[in-house]
Amino acid sequence: NMGGTLLPLELIDRCVGSRIWIILKGDKEFVGTLRGFDDYVNMVLEEVTEYEVNPEGGYRVTKLDQILLNGNNVCMLVPGGDGPVAEVEEE
Amino acid sequence: KSAVLDLTNHVDKKVRVKFAGGREVEGRLKGFDTLVNLVLDESVEYIRDAEDPYKLTEETRPLGLIVCRGTSVTLVCPSDGMAEIANPFGEAAADGI
Repeated sequence: NMGGTLLPLELIDRCVGSRIWIILKGDKEFVGTLRGFDDYVNMVLEEVTEYEVNPEGGYRVTKLDQILLNGNNVCMLVPGGDGPVAEVEEE
Repeated sequence: KSAVLDLTNHVDKKVRVKFAGGREVEGRLKGFDTLVNLVLDESVEYIRDAEDPYKLTEETRPLGLIVCRGTSVTLVCPSDGMAEIANPFGEAAADGI
């Protein structure tokens, strides 16, 4: 019985249409507009920025259009998140 | 499918969550499901040492309201229920088991 607690997949569903920050298990992160997701939390993202974190500072690669992000390596999701904005080198 | 641990008792409490791959966060548990997907509020991530990814630094970064994927979660425990101890395997093993 989960009482009045907030369901995680409901929170992701409310984020559809908005910006979301996805943190993978390894040192990679994505920020984009969430278009949709499935039972495995594979996601369709638009206007995506990919961040590959390196020890010296943030390394940024920009992708446009749509991507299908494989849910296999997803660790955390931050609704409305801006991403690791501090100290990025523009690619 | 019944859960091994009833997280209802931990709602609104601060919990530490560890993930496969080494990430660690701490936040207030706001929600969960049977697959151990979690909702944490006011969360922070503990940053790992660049040289040694198994060592934590004092640094944290704020994440806020987040969803943790149950498929990546390895540990959930109350924040005041854990503490670092001296290596029980002795000084010789301290450099790596």
